[in-house]
Amino acid sequence: MIKMVRLVSTLVVITSAAWLTACSNKPMTKEVPVAKVDPAIVAAGKAIATGRSKGNCLACHMIEEGESPGNIGPPLIAMKARFPDKAKLRAQIWDATAVNPESAMVPFGRLQVLSDDEIDKVVEYIWTL
Amino acid sequence: MSLLDKHSIRQSENLERTMKSVQRWVAAAIVIGLMVGSTALLAGEMKVDAATASEAIAQAEAAQKKADSVNGEWRDTGKFIKNAKKAAEAGDYAKAIRLAKKAESEGNLGYQQAVSQSELKIPSYFKAMYQ
Amino acid sequence: MDPVEPMQTQLLTATGRETMKKLLISLAVLLITAVSAQAGPEEDRMAFIKYYKSKFPNVPMEEYANGAYAIDPVGRENWEAIEEFPPYEPFIDRGQVMWETPFANGKGYKDCFPDGPVIAHHYPHWDKKQKMVMTLPLALNQCREANGEKPLKYKKGPINNILSYIAFQSRGQVVNVKVPMDDPDAVAAYEDGKKFYFTRRGQLNFSCASCHVQNTGLKVRTEILSPSVGHVTHWPTYRSKVDWSTVGTLHRRFTGCNKNIRAKPMKAQGPEYRNLEYFLSYLSNGLELNGPGARK
Ligand code: HEC
Repeated sequence: MIKMVRLVSTLVVITSAAWLTACSNKPMTKEVPVAKVDPAIVAAGKAIATGRSKGNCLACHMIEEGESPGNIGPPLIAMKARFPDKAKLRAQIWDATAVNPESAMVPFGRLQVLSDDEIDKVVEYIWTL
Repeated sequence: MSLLDKHSIRQSENLERTMKSVQRWVAAAIVIGLMVGSTALLAGEMKVDAATASEAIAQAEAAQKKADSVNGEWRDTGKFIKNAKKAAEAGDYAKAIRLAKKAESEGNLGYQQAVSQSELKIPSYFKAMYQ
Repeated sequence: MDPVEPMQTQLLTATGRETMKKLLISLAVLLITAVSAQAGPEEDRMAFIKYYKSKFPNVPMEEYANGAYAIDPVGRENWEAIEEFPPYEPFIDRGQVMWETPFANGKGYKDCFPDGPVIAHHYPHWDKKQKMVMTLPLALNQCREANGEKPLKYKKGPINNILSYIAFQSRGQVVNVKVPMDDPDAVAAYEDGKKFYFTRRGQLNFSCASCHVQNTGLKVRTEILSPSVGHVTHWPTYRSKVDWSTVGTLHRRFTGCNKNIRAKPMKAQGPEYRNLEYFLSYLSNGLELNGPGARK
């Protein structure tokens, strides 16, 4: 009996907690590892990353199939392995100087070179590399 | 039923009651938050007129000047202000305000960038060369 | 004597020695940081040379006057082909005509510069009277204005002709910039240029050093970043890039490097760029002048 009640109350706590997080926070779908990313978003990210006027990642980084890449930064390969945590990758693009003040990388988010939405798209694309 | 059992039941009932009230509070907070947020948003978007545009442009120019005073101005800030003025003249106040806001934040960022480096700091990759 | 006492003194001296050691170390550290914080021009130049030498151990010193072509064999081949029919030649000829043609008042450049056109190696220098860095383009315009002529523009146009002529005549002279250390204004101008060089600016947040020190030898897109030692030996420079396709001044190049990182460029021949030129030129002391130059 005690066990039953304990079980019920634990369940209640868990479900209420789940309910609370579900409606007080943004949907957590990003955390789900199998979440499929919309190919349109990846394509938009690619356009931003490789175009000269926006992200221009190619100015400094080698990207597979990208034309005339620079080599100031490391090649953008095996990104999932290098950044298992997507948030870290995003932070690196948003402002690399936060972690390393001497980083030569452009603080794309902090200095508003790209909008948050554009950075999200770039992250999705870069993560596929 | 033993006394102990009753006790646990009461405990779990208590817990449920607390949870419920927490949920209610959170729901209320969300509703209030949404209301405040949307009114703020509305207020922000509501005034798209000549006066707001010229105010935004004036603020952008002040920020530009501040950045320039420390040699921290960015390349396109002046262009954004010029285009904001053009848009305002053409009656496109929304565009004028958007561009002016962009120029203003560039001015502020450029100023901060320069001021944060007011002391010369030789980077570590080079500092070692002096030894 | 209490047998404990000598032990105590021993202990004391031991800790005393330890403190002494720590003090000396921190003093030394302080000294070193003080030295690097207020390193003079010569210490700066040696530091730059040490840095580049460690990056490019096989590049002889005199090669630095050739910029990126000292470290980029592919680019060098193209450059050597271009130098066979120097694209800057017509500008030298036009400059010679300018040098020899009197102004409306009958006087000319020859009167301002009586020693002849071999003068590029005298610039930039600290002008004690005007309390500022004097550059060759500025001196040329002061000569014009003193004779009732309109000053020339500082980035594009005919100033490059006369500069090309003077540069060509001055080939082989050695860069020898002096910073009079007993003149605090001169030192301040040099320090100002150095600060500009190391300050990150523009929306892209680069300093000159980010590209030309931290990442020298690496590529931005297809361009190999040149060392700053050697940056000033070959001006004006003909660039084949579409929006140049002509000879341009050093300050035009500064403008370009500032615009690329989305910073508002400073005024050509304004105090910021002149001070920057002062600092940058000092770094090339000892190198031979080889202007006008040709670059991508
Ligand atoms: C984003 C990288 C970048 C930054 C920042 C930068 N430059 Fe450059 N600079 C280049 C590139 C690329 C070239 C052309 C290739 C070369 O010669 O290095 C160049 C060329 C030059 C040249 C001509 C070299 C030659 O041999 O003719 C000079 C001089 C120069 N830069 C000075 C500066 C100064 C001074 C600053 C700081 C105000 C600066 N650069 C900042 C990228 C940069």
